[in-house]
Amino acid sequence: MKKFIIFFAITIGWIFCLVLPSAAQAPELREQLVYGLNVFNGRGYGGGFTPRTEDTIYLIADKDNAISARITLVYFWPITGKYIAGFQTLNEEVEGTLEVLKGEKVIETLEKEDNSLYYPEGYYGESSLFYKGEEAHAYIEEFMKAIEEYYNQIAEYQQAQTEYQENFDDFLEEIKERTEAGEEIKKEEIEERMPREPKPPTPPQFYVTPPTKDYVINLPVGNYKIRLRAEDGTIVQDSEKNLVLFTSRRTGGTGYEIIPGNRWTGRESCDDPSWIIYLAGKNTLYFNSFVQDEYNELYYNKLEDPQNIGREEKWRWVHTKSIKDVTLLFSKGEEVLQKIARVPYYVKQLAGAELGYEIVEFNPEDMEMYGRQPTFEGYKLELSSTLQKTNYEINLEKKEGEFFPGGKRGLRLVRKENAKSLYILSIFPLIVGLVVFIGRRRKLIPKK
Amino acid sequence: MISADPLNYPLFISTIIISFYLAILSAISISREKDQGTLEILFYGPVSCPTYILGKYIKDMLTYLVVVVFFLAYFLGVSVLTNLGFSYGLVKIIFVSIFSVSCIVSFGLFISSLTGKMRNSIIWLIGILIFFLAIQVGQTILFGMPEEKMSPILTYLGNTLSVVSRGVNWISPFSYLTRGIDTVALDNTFLYWLNILYSIIYSTILLVLSIFTLKRKGVRG
Repeated sequence: MKKFIIFFAITIGWIFCLVLPSAAQAPELREQLVYGLNVFNGRGYGGGFTPRTEDTIYLIADKDNAISARITLVYFWPITGKYIAGFQTLNEEVEGTLEVLKGEKVIETLEKEDNSLYYPEGYYGESSLFYKGEEAHAYIEEFMKAIEEYYNQIAEYQQAQTEYQENFDDFLEEIKERTEAGEEIKKEEIEERMPREPKPPTPPQFYVTPPTKDYVINLPVGNYKIRLRAEDGTIVQDSEKNLVLFTSRRTGGTGYEIIPGNRWTGRESCDDPSWIIYLAGKNTLYFNSFVQDEYNELYYNKLEDPQNIGREEKWRWVHTKSIKDVTLLFSKGEEVLQKIARVPYYVKQLAGAELGYEIVEFNPEDMEMYGRQPTFEGYKLELSSTLQKTNYEINLEKKEGEFFPGGKRGLRLVRKENAKSLYILSIFPLIVGLVVFIGRRRKLIPKK
Repeated sequence: MISADPLNYPLFISTIIISFYLAILSAISISREKDQGTLEILFYGPVSCPTYILGKYIKDMLTYLVVVVFFLAYFLGVSVLTNLGFSYGLVKIIFVSIFSVSCIVSFGLFISSLTGKMRNSIIWLIGILIFFLAIQVGQTILFGMPEEKMSPILTYLGNTLSVVSRGVNWISPFSYLTRGIDTVALDNTFLYWLNILYSIIYSTILLVLSIFTLKRKGVRG
């Protein structure tokens, strides 16, 4: 027995000793062939890279996905436990053709194609569209034209602004002279003759990325392999990867993002209809609703970043598009308690306040918010402390009586005041045990 | 808080604590009787090794079933008092825990049948459980290390621990409990019933091994 304990302690100690010396070393840069990714993620396009350690690339089926082979410097970042690519230091494009294999058979040979991303609501907007070939060039030209036009408008605006300033100064001078001459000027005349300030031009709402040359993969669901064939006919070293094309299990669900009023940066998701929102006491919640699709957790996590982890047996909802023009209903049974509209909100930073901020309705006319954007939009649900602690529901109403599919969620107010009663409940098994014990003891010890 | 089954985690913790108690209880049950000499006297009567082991197993399982009744009453009470949902998932976990506890009890009985003294049974049980834990921790540490920092020895050790860890997942009775709870969280019916089937097979194998060991080692401490 002693031998076993000693052997066991030595083995564990040995493992830790082997690990420790490597803990404090500087990151080591290694030249690697990686695949740069610009792939469809259900709502738009996102980037990333696949280091040598990852042998599989995950993509959504039947969508255009751009990948490119590059030589770069890769190092391990212990804080995140992931490999980082130093594309700014070394970013060498690898030439060749990309072969796609099904089993051992080459089913497609891809050449590099020009492609660009089109953001209809601007670079920080929700959606992006992928264009390749002539279309990519057409859109970038359209964007360049729009930018050029905008710059021309800016130049015109600046000229108009200078003229306005001069005219305004002349106007003030004239008013001053006339007033000094004893003339009484009517307010209406001033308003009528006062030069009007020119309005600044609005920049193009959309954005288009400059075209890049990548391999565009668009394949049906299935398992494939890819490899890069160099111009001399050989297979490029480390270029072989497995390729998994997957699709969503369910589409068109409704998901919620909940912003708590007392911690607005700590957003939570309530995506599955079986999930229940538990609340205690007085609360203010801001709801955002989304159309969502359900994907395999491992595949989708790996799509977002090939170094992410996940489980193949698990599924996750992915928000694809905001749901607007609906009303949020807060109800108890059949009775609708509140009908809430979607409103933009602005988070005002406050010095010395308890939370350090205040969430107010966004008003572009307000001097404090002039020229600013709303922080977020949402449906504000205020729950008072006097509300009965029972079960409620939220739902999304399109029109009167017509609801958004899958928008129903349970909302429960927890009865915190009963928490003390739980101690009594916990003691219950002990009381039962004591009764059984005393009963048995009485049977065993004969009465005198 | 957003959750489908808010009481699952407290139930999991409660089940783990009860499982440890039952593991120790079953691990000392045979060795204690051997140690005290009562087993030898018992076997002069119409008692065989299979009936004795099955009797011990049924006794421990009935103990857990009593605990299950308390679990149901307690969590139902918590739900009524606090308005936290008593969900279908909770009932599924309680059901799967019966089979997982069966694995733990069988494992304890097997350890007990191997040893002749009560103290040794406890040391063996705790030692084996710490060994399982150390394998998991060691593998996690090595798994988190970058490839280029792995010396050939560490790479070899990592691969070995990975294989051993996979084996431990089938040997450790607590893995069946965590896997069972996991299948409820995943809402995967197939994996849920598969885990129950594996638990039954595991329990049967260990009970047969316990009978075989008891027959071979005899009833004297």
